[in-house]
Amino acid sequence: MAATVDSNELEDLLHRCAAHDSAALQSLYARAAPQLLGILVRLLGSRAVAEDVLQDAFIRIWQQAGQFDRIKGRAMSWMVAIARNRAIDVQRATRPTVLLDAAELAGAEQLQVVGPADSVEFSSAGDALRRCLGLLATAQRQCLLLAYQRGFAQEKIAQSIGKPLGTVKSWVRRGLQTLKTCLET
Amino acid sequence: MNLNQPERLELLAATYTLGVLRHRARTRFERLCVSSTSARIATQLWEDRLLPLALELPMVAPSTALWPRIQQRIAAGRDQIGVPADLDQRRRGRRWWQVAAAASVIAISLLVGKLTIWHEPAWQAFAVLAQAHAAPSWRVERSADTASIYIHTIASITLEASKDYELWVLPRVGQPVSLGLLPRSGNLQRKLTTEQRRMLLTALQVAVSVEPAGGSPTGLPTGPVIVVAPIVRMT
Repeated sequence: MAATVDSNELEDLLHRCAAHDSAALQSLYARAAPQLLGILVRLLGSRAVAEDVLQDAFIRIWQQAGQFDRIKGRAMSWMVAIARNRAIDVQRATRPTVLLDAAELAGAEQLQVVGPADSVEFSSAGDALRRCLGLLATAQRQCLLLAYQRGFAQEKIAQSIGKPLGTVKSWVRRGLQTLKTCLET
Repeated sequence: MNLNQPERLELLAATYTLGVLRHRARTRFERLCVSSTSARIATQLWEDRLLPLALELPMVAPSTALWPRIQQRIAAGRDQIGVPADLDQRRRGRRWWQVAAAASVIAISLLVGKLTIWHEPAWQAFAVLAQAHAAPSWRVERSADTASIYIHTIASITLEASKDYELWVLPRVGQPVSLGLLPRSGNLQRKLTTEQRRMLLTALQVAVSVEPAGGSPTGLPTGPVIVVAPIVRMT
């Protein structure tokens, strides 16, 4: 499944959605839905739940497209945030604690690109982020990836990696600070 | 937490975007984003920073049944757009108002978008206007695309013929911008100008002033301001 994530194209489609152009939403769906569903399946661990959340996300994208401001953020960031926030709400309400096995923990450390994100802009940002993640200690990096990609609360991360909650919170906080400093230099 | 410290706000935005804030802290931060430009900007920056971690995940093709379901829901929502007096929509408004009344929200009430949590109607109320110690007079709604407002007169308005009530949006910085006159009865839909729409998306409050018939002659409130109400926006 090849899809080109073109930021300008997505922005234009969002603006057309704001004008109630349903064809634009269909184009947006064709371009972004596989990417968003991949994110949601990873977060929620269930394709069925992920599709429900994706459906909600696209309704919200349609309804709120007029609030997207290309000056303030990128289209894909905006849509991913809508989908992730909805997923986190659902996940916190329904998902039991899931502990990871060693193979999954190892997977959480992987930094290589495993899916196509073929915009030059996104690839460049991805390179920078991976370089900065590489500066973190393994455990710090693991915490951030489990939180962002798997949607784990800090308590779940602590249980999964067998570390005290306070330690995990500290790693998360320091990891984020390190990332910010690195990405801004 | 002292949010006047930029590093505190930064950490909150980062942990919110990462997804590790607890439910109540998430909700509080989302409310903060409504009122704080700094919080919104910090969050958007973190969303951009972490985006590559989302995009590197493998894509998954949605089932073929998903898009038709989305189309159906949107078609149902669009039926309401442009027909604000739609019976179901009005009933929804009444149901909301009954809940609000039961909650003894008297002076200035808010309509919170989350009341309708996910199946959002095409129109969402963002403020209820009431004078102090009085029942609400108007409910103001905004279209889902934020391009129009719909003013619903809740109670009969008594005001001398030589006066009108005028609705204003109060930006955090700068002068109030008029959103036009408020009706004395019935409902009124009004298309917003680009400036009005922009103001409404970022402002925190609306106000009502008493003006000469036809509205303020100066473009700014000239009479007494009888209502100041917070704006609750769609999340």
